[in-house]
Amino acid sequence: MAAHGNASTAEHAGVPHHSHVGRYVVVWIVLLVLTVSTWAIAKVHLPGPLHILVALVIAIAKGALVALFFMHLYDQQGANRLVFATSLVFVALLVGLTLSDYATRYPLAKPPGSEGALPAPDYAPPPTSRTH
Amino acid sequence: MPANTTYLAHHFESLEKQTYAARLGMWLFLATEVLLFTALFAGYGVYRYLYPEAFREASRGLETWIGFVNTLVLVTSSFTVAMGLERATRGDGRGTRLLFGASILLAVLFLGLKAVEYTHHFHAGELPGRFYTSDAVQGPGGPIFFALYFLITGLHAIHVVIGMTVLAVIGWRAGRGAYAAEYHVPVELGALYWHLVDLIWIFVFPLIYLI
Repeated sequence: MAAHGNASTAEHAGVPHHSHVGRYVVVWIVLLVLTVSTWAIAKVHLPGPLHILVALVIAIAKGALVALFFMHLYDQQGANRLVFATSLVFVALLVGLTLSDYATRYPLAKPPGSEGALPAPDYAPPPTSRTH
Repeated sequence: MPANTTYLAHHFESLEKQTYAARLGMWLFLATEVLLFTALFAGYGVYRYLYPEAFREASRGLETWIGFVNTLVLVTSSFTVAMGLERATRGDGRGTRLLFGASILLAVLFLGLKAVEYTHHFHAGELPGRFYTSDAVQGPGGPIFFALYFLITGLHAIHVVIGMTVLAVIGWRAGRGAYAAEYHVPVELGALYWHLVDLIWIFVFPLIYLI
């Protein structure tokens, strides 16, 4: 094995010589703090959509920390960032377009028992005997 | 012959270009993984929109503390993997093996807690579709919630198992001195996969357990 290599190759390949330990420790602690806070906030009663909004904002912040610093998007070349950013665009398209479809449907087109659907008093729960 | 050419595949001009290509390929793969889970998250979004009350009730019945502890466990395992990569950039293969080993132990803890949770759901009859026998949630929302719950957490658990295998193989090879300070691309790509598994769980936790 080659224990002593050409140091400049490693540098050019995007691996800096200064240590990342300090950065990793800080990111790890922030991730733990954010996890505890999202858990604590979930116990507090918040009005309506605020709940999901706060939870998602914290999740996005945590995800950004992981992607930027643990996955090194912060200090790598642009192509990798472009690939990841493109996947996020498609995430937004897939979730956004699907949800806006359902959010704008005529009530009759909604499945029985769902919110906003016409009442379905004859709805019967599925048979329960199959598992026993 | 310079030491780094031993790692260079014949169809690459330089180790630098080879590393770039490997990273880009890994990121393309990770993008497809993100979209794989996005399909499930979109399904979750649709049914949560259609059955908000049932989803809230079903989610309230979950063991939130298990999801919470598992998030802490997985975030910590991501940290130890990052530290393992740090050791690899210094040419310390044994350090990488030790830290990847710690990550695998954390992953075992994660799966163990998941098993406790799944056992509880099986006993309570909180299962997908027609196998839903609990009377905690009325209407079609409950069975749908648990179908999505098992699909999302199950697919994620499969990724955890794959990630553990990757970390085990690469950690073992690193400990035997297969990589060096100037060439540790496999360690880096294995670490990337593990961070993605963590990244996905970061979104699973609030969506499934908290709201």
